[in-house]
Amino acid sequence: MKGSFRQSMKWLHTWVGLVVGWILVFMFITGTAGYFDDEITRWMEPERPLTATHIDKSKLLDISQHYLETHVKNAKEWRVILPNSRDANLKVMWQEQPEEGKRFGKFSTKVLDTDTDTGLAIDNLRETAGGRTLYRMHYRLHYMPSIVAYWIVGFCTMLMLIAVITGVIFHKKIFSDFFTFRAKKGLIGWLDIHNVLSVTAIPFHFMITYSGLIFFLITYMILSVNIGITETQKDKYFNEVFPRTVEVEKSDDYQPLASLSDMYAKSHKYWQEDTLAYVKVEYPLDKNARVKFTRWNTDLTYNPDDELFFSGETGKLLNIAAKQVTMSGQIHRGFISLHEGLFASPMVRWLYLIIGLMGTGMIASGLILWTTKRKPKQMKNTNGPDFGYRLVEQLNIGTIVGFPIAVAMYFWANRLLPVEMENRAEWEIHCLFISWALLLIYPAFRSGLVAWFEQLKIAAFVFCFIPVLNFITTDKHLGISLPLRDWNYAGFDLVMLVIGVAFAFTAYKVKKHIPVAQKSHAKLTKNDIENKVTDETISTLAATKETS
Amino acid sequence: MFNLITTRKFTKFYFTNPRWWVFSRVMAAIFAGYALATTSSLFLGQLLLQSMGEYQAFHIGLLLSFLIYSCGAMWVFSVSTAKKAWGGLISLNLIFMALTWLLMQVNS
Amino acid sequence: MILLMSLCFVSMTLFCLAMEKHRKQILSSKFINFPLPQIMVVSFKPLAWVMLFITLTISVEQYGWSIGSAVFFGALSGCLLPLILLLTYRANLIILVSVLLAIILFVIEL
Repeated sequence: MKGSFRQSMKWLHTWVGLVVGWILVFMFITGTAGYFDDEITRWMEPERPLTATHIDKSKLLDISQHYLETHVKNAKEWRVILPNSRDANLKVMWQEQPEEGKRFGKFSTKVLDTDTDTGLAIDNLRETAGGRTLYRMHYRLHYMPSIVAYWIVGFCTMLMLIAVITGVIFHKKIFSDFFTFRAKKGLIGWLDIHNVLSVTAIPFHFMITYSGLIFFLITYMILSVNIGITETQKDKYFNEVFPRTVEVEKSDDYQPLASLSDMYAKSHKYWQEDTLAYVKVEYPLDKNARVKFTRWNTDLTYNPDDELFFSGETGKLLNIAAKQVTMSGQIHRGFISLHEGLFASPMVRWLYLIIGLMGTGMIASGLILWTTKRKPKQMKNTNGPDFGYRLVEQLNIGTIVGFPIAVAMYFWANRLLPVEMENRAEWEIHCLFISWALLLIYPAFRSGLVAWFEQLKIAAFVFCFIPVLNFITTDKHLGISLPLRDWNYAGFDLVMLVIGVAFAFTAYKVKKHIPVAQKSHAKLTKNDIENKVTDETISTLAATKETS
Repeated sequence: MFNLITTRKFTKFYFTNPRWWVFSRVMAAIFAGYALATTSSLFLGQLLLQSMGEYQAFHIGLLLSFLIYSCGAMWVFSVSTAKKAWGGLISLNLIFMALTWLLMQVNS
Repeated sequence: MILLMSLCFVSMTLFCLAMEKHRKQILSSKFINFPLPQIMVVSFKPLAWVMLFITLTISVEQYGWSIGSAVFFGALSGCLLPLILLLTYRANLIILVSVLLAIILFVIEL
């Protein structure tokens, strides 16, 4: 199209990146936050007790069993989520009996109190959208039906896949420039950092994009699915590619559940390391109840040894045949596991966060590269820059700096909104989007670098203030969490501080580049006149010096 | 003056503005590309049927469809004219459909 | 994990050293100013590949095939950014950092 194949790919890469770049920044930031969604949720519920990870697991199982037997009598399933490095509190979850015609009943979650010996649930948790919702927005967006969101997200992901592939194709010196980063002002610097952030994490970028598409395989390839397999064949398809364990048949005979802690003691024979993570009881208090113990994943695809089944009635181990997952099913599950990163140990999870941020930086630097390349020509326009250029710049500022500020406002709302407020969770999200909208509109009224500088200052402030806000409004601030080594609460506050400092540093760097002429004359200092910032400034200063 | 009137009129009909051709390619990439992804996934499903079992073959076809779609979209923007892009994609679609039908006869 | 990232960092440094322009960056400000013997230069790349292969083996041994290979690529990408930033801003520190990491590796091994 553009003369040579490489040039066409370059054109495609630019346009594809530009069309969906901002939504991708949104998706990358929410997705990266999603790797720590449990931790974020815990921070957003400061009424939680501090850690329970030091308590012996059999005792925790006893507490959960006692609570569920007392308070949740008629449920389709019970779940116990043991405390771990991500969420240091004991949680129970249950699914009520589904209504007529529905497959699933209502799910409820409770955090159990392990500080005192009451074995009750924590009742005063504030209603919050939590880290969960931040992560959900990653693929479900907000304020629209799911299916619309899935298609929008799919469209953006597909375009990103094309961007990744075309980027590799037209990057001529991908191996010789592998380590090159010339930290110079302007086009060269932005191009180099864009290349570095993309090329060094190519496996991740390709994986995350492709696996993102695979999540909604059936939705996106709906035509194929409707043509390729009939309704009657659909069950067979799912069973072959994603086999499930045998379903439990409800018997309607009441039978108290055998002791979970006894089953846990038996599990030591089969699991050398003590890595029990979840317990699921299907049809509890029923004769046919079945208990499933799941440990932390040891395989991206499926390892049958990660699950143990016990009879609810007798507490004996059941010999359930392992699921025979097909090769394509394993590939599918493998991709999804890689994307979700649930298998990751704490250090690997941090790596996911850092590389996720690198991905965000890749897209952001690409967007900024676009404006930087066109800036000299646009600035020479007699009527000011074109509408397209101004729009891109405004969206850049509003999204790259504006959306993180919006996320920080989400956390602010969690601490500041009254606890008894109605629809509190919804309003936390409204705060996020309202602030984002304001930050998207505001750069229209300020010129380029000044808008960048001001928003960066705002970002630095809102993030650095979060630990302070925590201190003012709750009792889980750094003063308490650091001495007690609750790394969840402390870690969150510290990360917010680090992000704030990073924004402050960036603001400081941007400030030096703001042309002197853009500052009001009253604020021109001797320093400014001596500092030769840009060529424009020198000529402007020369002009003003002559007239004054 | 006369030239101006005629060229302006004909511009509307003959889409000489290059942006129309870009738009045409975008449409080709989106719709004909999606059709290509669909037909190729069905084709792969039939191709691998004997070696992998019915549903696994189909699943692999689905998994690869995204890659095929990207290649199709990239190809659309690399050919010299939009007409070639449409022509190429439509003919590929027809070829895949024909092959799928053939393989279905062989496999049953 | 630290072990894996350190190994990746050292092997990536070797790849850097194998390239002319980066070798100048890394070694220019040290006291080693003469051109290195050709044998050394030629051996950097194969050595780097061998180290990468060893890292992959260690990762797979520790985590199993699927998680191991995924973690290996993660460690690789994770160590590249610090290396490139160091290369740009403080190239003279790279040799020092690599040596320190190598020492840490031996300590961990023991």
